[in-house]
Amino acid sequence: MPVIRNQIRELRATLEMTQQELADRIGVTRQTVIAMEQDKYSPSLETAFKVALVFGVSLEQCFQYDPNGRR
Amino acid sequence: MATSLSYREKTLYASLAAELLVYGPYFFFHQQNSVNKVAGMIVAIIALQTVLQLMIAVVTRSRVTDERDRLIELRGYRAGYLTIATLMVVGLGMLWFHATFGQLRLDSHMVGLHFLSVFFGMLVIADIVKTAAQIVAYRRAL
Repeated sequence: MPVIRNQIRELRATLEMTQQELADRIGVTRQTVIAMEQDKYSPSLETAFKVALVFGVSLEQCFQYDPNGRR
Repeated sequence: MATSLSYREKTLYASLAAELLVYGPYFFFHQQNSVNKVAGMIVAIIALQTVLQLMIAVVTRSRVTDERDRLIELRGYRAGYLTIATLMVVGLGMLWFHATFGQLRLDSHMVGLHFLSVFFGMLVIADIVKTAAQIVAYRRAL
């Protein structure tokens, strides 16, 4: 289980948003969105806030910290 | 899920291909190294890299780079630095060993060329390791 998990895929599906659209809105590449959705990359705080802003949710609703998780 | 290559990844593959294409024959099929050969190779790698990077820039619509790209770039530089530091220590150790116990004569007129060749080789290996480490990081998602 990764250290930081996220609900990006679920939230994106709710808004019927493509990975490219999300990437364009938060200023990253589509490959970074894919890596975040697969829990392989933990974004910077700034990008995490941008993601939460795009989905209109709080940071905690989008990202969760798992103290027992492993990278 | 299909993950097409990003702009940065494409440039890295092109860099690795150019490095192997230019440096490979020099290190594996060389007869006699010379300063001119090293200079020619540097010109060749610059020309080849320019052409390849231009081609990639033309065919790639999105040339966005982000924080993950920068992080991967730093990881590559760290791998390259560790490689060159290790090679320097090993190389200097071997130099001392051969000069002390072996046949190496530091007053030989060829010693400068040998040094140039060895140090250039170290730079090339470190550069290839840097590029390869970045490619691996991209393939592993980070």
